Amino acid sequence: MKNRYRTLLLAILFTAATGQAQDKKAATQNPKPAPVEIKIDNFSFTPPTISIPAGTTVRWTNRDDIPHTVVSDDQKFESKALDTDDQYSYTFNQQGTYGYFCSIHPKMTGKVVVQ
Amino acid sequence: MNEAKGRTRAGTKDLIRYDHNHDGLDRRGFLKCMAWAGAGAFCVLRGGVLHSYALGGLREADAKGELSFVQISDSHMGFNKPANPDVTTTLQVAIDKINALPRAPEFLLHTGDISHLSKPSEFDTVDQMLKSARVKDTFFVPGEHDVLNDDGRQYRERYAQRAQGGGWYSFDKGGVHFIGLVNVLNLKAGGLGDLGSEQLEWIEKDVKPLSKSTPIVVFAHIPLWSVYPEWGWGTDDSARALGYLKKFGSVTVLNGHIHQVMQKVEGNVTFHTAMSTAFPQPKPGQAPSPGPMKVPDEQLRSVLGITEVDFLQGSHALAVTDQTLG
Repeated sequence: MKNRYRTLLLAILFTAATGQAQDKKAATQNPKPAPVEIKIDNFSFTPPTISIPAGTTVRWTNRDDIPHTVVSDDQKFESKALDTDDQYSYTFNQQGTYGYFCSIHPKMTGKVVVQ
Repeated sequence: MNEAKGRTRAGTKDLIRYDHNHDGLDRRGFLKCMAWAGAGAFCVLRGGVLHSYALGGLREADAKGELSFVQISDSHMGFNKPANPDVTTTLQVAIDKINALPRAPEFLLHTGDISHLSKPSEFDTVDQMLKSARVKDTFFVPGEHDVLNDDGRQYRERYAQRAQGGGWYSFDKGGVHFIGLVNVLNLKAGGLGDLGSEQLEWIEKDVKPLSKSTPIVVFAHIPLWSVYPEWGWGTDDSARALGYLKKFGSVTVLNGHIHQVMQKVEGNVTFHTAMSTAFPQPKPGQAPSPGPMKVPDEQLRSVLGITEVDFLQGSHALAVTDQTLG
């Protein structure tokens, strides 16, 4: 019994290690896309909608005198309250459309389309 | 919206914006009445018509049920941008105004945005300062700035330990039933302020045993009426809350959030928003966003203020008066 568990554990570890190696290989072949900036100004996200390749890091900067947050509709990502000039970054690795909003001023909404 | 300004005998400036949809309210009479207030008279608004009572003429039964309280809002302790680099001083001026009122208010309502960034030190400063206000009690409801990063946990520990759910509660004073509501939690993308079903059910139960002649005061941070939804100045499910209050003859709704005085009367409900003690915000739609509005330094105190509310038992109406800080 004990041996069977050990074999199973080794198999899992091996799979994980190979997976990691493959990820590294993919990253070398496709250099990381340039980061994208979104400005928070006048109670809005600018640009409100962006389209980016997978792996892109998006950085939000609050330019208002009032704090804002960046929270995805499905709560996959969520910043703390950003005071003036504070920044928040998130890297989008998976394809899909991500709606987000400011949880303090929910009229403020934006969208990230990851291709 | 019409606006009237006048000077009381004490030399302080009163700001009254009280146009109830062209209801023929005699504004000049109102101002005259407000001028009397400092000299010992009460002004009561009933069904959009103003009544004033000289103190000596009050029947004993009426005088017995007198209740006076004061509302302040949006202190934004910690804010330090050009619209007001010193919000501590303006809050102190507001407290001084409260302490100088001709009739000491029974208690103080703070309708939220006590702090700017929910920092413990910001709450501490306000708590310390409010100790010098000559009132017997202080009641709070949270603004969105008071519940940052922790869904309001710190706020509730400080101000609402005995409250329900997200921090809502009710109490009775001088024959008036007060309901403090929370509409700044669990906000939905694209939406406005939100009360939520748990709180709405609680409101229904809370007011059920009350007789319809009980005057009701509801206070919450974000307006419970649609002031300007484009800027988020409204509450998505407020209609349901107000529905539970339909049977009552007198309902007064006190809000903050928009840093300016707005008033509306709808049936038996009077809606009123207070000025901030920190900085003004633009009139709806008259700026690219509702952010802090910079006015010339010498004008700042004329756009900040406190709100005084008087109630006379038997009148089933509350008089709401705004006073600027300078």
